[in-house]
Amino acid sequence: MLKKRLIGVVTVKDGWAVQSFGYHRYLPLGKPECLVENLDRWGADEILIQVIDRSKNRSGPDFHLIEKLGKLGLETPLIYAGGVSTLEDGVKIIQLGADRIVVDALLHDELVVVQKLSERLGAQALIGSLPLSYNSGAIGWFNYRSKTSKLISNELLVLIQSGIISELLISDWEHEGLPRGFEQKLVENFPVKEARLIIFGGISNSEQMSALLEYSGVVAVAIGNFLSYREHAIQMYKEALRALPVRLASYESTFSLIEVANAKN
Amino acid sequence: MRACTVGIIDYGIGNLASVVHTLRDMGFRVIVSNKAADLDVANILMLPGVGAFPVAMSILHERGLVDYLLQQADLGRPLIGICLGMQLLVNASYEHKYTSGLGLIPGDILPFANHGGHIGWNTLVVMDENSPCMESNGEDFYFNHSFFYQGPSKYQVAITQHLMPFASIIQRDNVVGLQFHPEKSQLAGKILLRNLIKSLVDA
Repeated sequence: MLKKRLIGVVTVKDGWAVQSFGYHRYLPLGKPECLVENLDRWGADEILIQVIDRSKNRSGPDFHLIEKLGKLGLETPLIYAGGVSTLEDGVKIIQLGADRIVVDALLHDELVVVQKLSERLGAQALIGSLPLSYNSGAIGWFNYRSKTSKLISNELLVLIQSGIISELLISDWEHEGLPRGFEQKLVENFPVKEARLIIFGGISNSEQMSALLEYSGVVAVAIGNFLSYREHAIQMYKEALRALPVRLASYESTFSLIEVANAKN
Repeated sequence: MRACTVGIIDYGIGNLASVVHTLRDMGFRVIVSNKAADLDVANILMLPGVGAFPVAMSILHERGLVDYLLQQADLGRPLIGICLGMQLLVNASYEHKYTSGLGLIPGDILPFANHGGHIGWNTLVVMDENSPCMESNGEDFYFNHSFFYQGPSKYQVAITQHLMPFASIIQRDNVVGLQFHPEKSQLAGKILLRNLIKSLVDA
């Protein structure tokens, strides 16, 4: 049986891993590779590294960071988000060490590039990111460059239904970083019922995770800040979710991949 | 197991770094190349891959690797395909358009119904208790694919359940296909790779 996933999220801004609160207030955490390495050792089901200043600054993907992470030899699937705008970006990100990529701005700008990425990399490698909010009974799709919200376009809904993108990363951007902040109505009212959803933003405890993972369309929860408050948090969450089809917590390597990578270079 | 060199076929598609690191961590020598002269010294060949079938086959043809792989398989050199690399081993795929594969294992690659991609961790059920993969029976591995193998059951070493049972390991003689990513399956992946490579090289 296909397991529901717990995805560890590392948010990167100006080259540093940060805690983010609603994408407007940030606290530094340290080097991204250190956080990624911890998630790898603690048995996360996937690791999402999202570099949040790349699209806004039009600086393209952070290839240097992806290469650095690729050299760690992670044993956990790596998802990259941030600044993907061309087919060449996508191909290079995968070659440097990521397993899947997230597209966000492209969903507003150029769906034809999304189609090309799918044809080249396969739909399974593509995740669409939708920062959403729920107000007055309607779901708003946020454009973080223009800081405005609108309804999800019909064009995008058709693309989602076509299977060109394998999964959607639904972020509750208003409640991101807030304990128990995620608005469940975003799941209940999402317009494409067959879409496979990864839920992110304000997911802080196992009861909330359990409730979200009970939805048939929710394939994974992604957790950011709340993994930073204690060691081995992924394992503790997994232990608490044993009643669900979640892969068991794993406990293995204790050595530093970063030290090994440095020794090899 | 005596010292073993794994030759990874570099055809410019997919994430080779993870496979290389995993194999080196396990103590294997690793060569990454698209040149026959380099790969010829390997005890076993590995064909990884992330991407779509038609593009991958097109690149294999462009780089002259199709003939090389067919020739090596014919000589009995062990070959392991991973994910897309497994799918390339069979007769053909219907991804985007009908495209012929390497034809080393009879069967075709078909889409899951209703865009039902299979992404995440799922359980391996090994069908043959004499298989070197038996130690991995019941373990979870990381899958990331939208198409699956359909072919004679005699080539299906292990199956996994997603919408229906499908083959997660296929084998014909010294050619083996793994639909999942052992290099991204943490400890379970390393154990499976170790057992599989050992059995193929020592055979």
